[in-house]
Amino acid sequence: MSISIQKEIFSTEDVILKMKESNLSIGAVVTFTGFVRDFYDNKEGKKLEQLELEHYAGMTEKMLSKIELEANARWLLEDTQIIHRVGVLLPSDPIVLVAVASKHRGDAFDACHFIIDYLKVDAPFWKKEKTNMDEYWVNDRKEDSLSKDRWEKVSSKKTN
Amino acid sequence: MKIKVLFFASIREIFDCNEKIVDITHNANLTPDLLLENFSSTEKGPWLILLNKKKLVRVAINQTIAEWQSPLFDGDELAFLPPITGG
Repeated sequence: MSISIQKEIFSTEDVILKMKESNLSIGAVVTFTGFVRDFYDNKEGKKLEQLELEHYAGMTEKMLSKIELEANARWLLEDTQIIHRVGVLLPSDPIVLVAVASKHRGDAFDACHFIIDYLKVDAPFWKKEKTNMDEYWVNDRKEDSLSKDRWEKVSSKKTN
Repeated sequence: MKIKVLFFASIREIFDCNEKIVDITHNANLTPDLLLENFSSTEKGPWLILLNKKKLVRVAINQTIAEWQSPLFDGDELAFLPPITGG
C-alpha cells in the first residue's frame, strides 16, 4: 500500500512494472488514470489554460490511507498505490493514478473503482480552473456522491 | 480556549489567509457552528460570507470529517472545507 501526493508527473507504466517486480503472485493490475481535460467548446473561444490543485496536507494522506485500508478489507489485494498531483497542471496532464494489484481480475477491478469513487468525495483536494477568460473554483458533482454511495450497498466479496 | 482554524481554496481566498489562531471564551460547549456564529456577529467580514455559504461547507476537526455540532476542545484544529473536487 502506498500513497503519494506530489507535484511531479508520474508514469502509470512504471508503477505497474514496480508492482509486478516486487510481488510475483500478482496476476492482475487495474489502473485508473485521470487527466486534465479542456472541455470548452472552441466556438466560444474559451479555453482551459491551467488547473491548480490544492490539498489539505495531513488530512489528505489520512483519508487516502483510510480508503486504501477499507479496499484491502473488502477485497483480496496484493498491492494498492494512489498518486495524486498538486500544484499547477496543464491540459492533458495526468492528475491521479489508482493502481490495484490482485491475484485475479475481479478484486482489482472492483477495488480500483471503489478507491477512485471514495477519493473523489472524501479526499480534501480542490481544483481551480483558469481559462483565457476567467478563473474559478470547480463545484462538486452530485454524481460523485451517488457513485460513492453505491458502494455502501455492496457487501464485501472477500472470502478469506 | 484557542482553536487553530484552517481555510482552504475558495474559503482561503475569502479570508485571504491559510490559518488563524482564534481565542474564544465560551461558556457552553463550543462547536464549529457556535464558533462561526460568534465570529460572524462580532467580526463580520469574511466570517459573515462563510456563514452564508455554510450549506456548502463541511468541517473537519483534527483532520477528521466532523459535524457542525461536534464538540471543540482547546488546541483543536478546525478546518472549513469547501466542496471537494479532487481526482
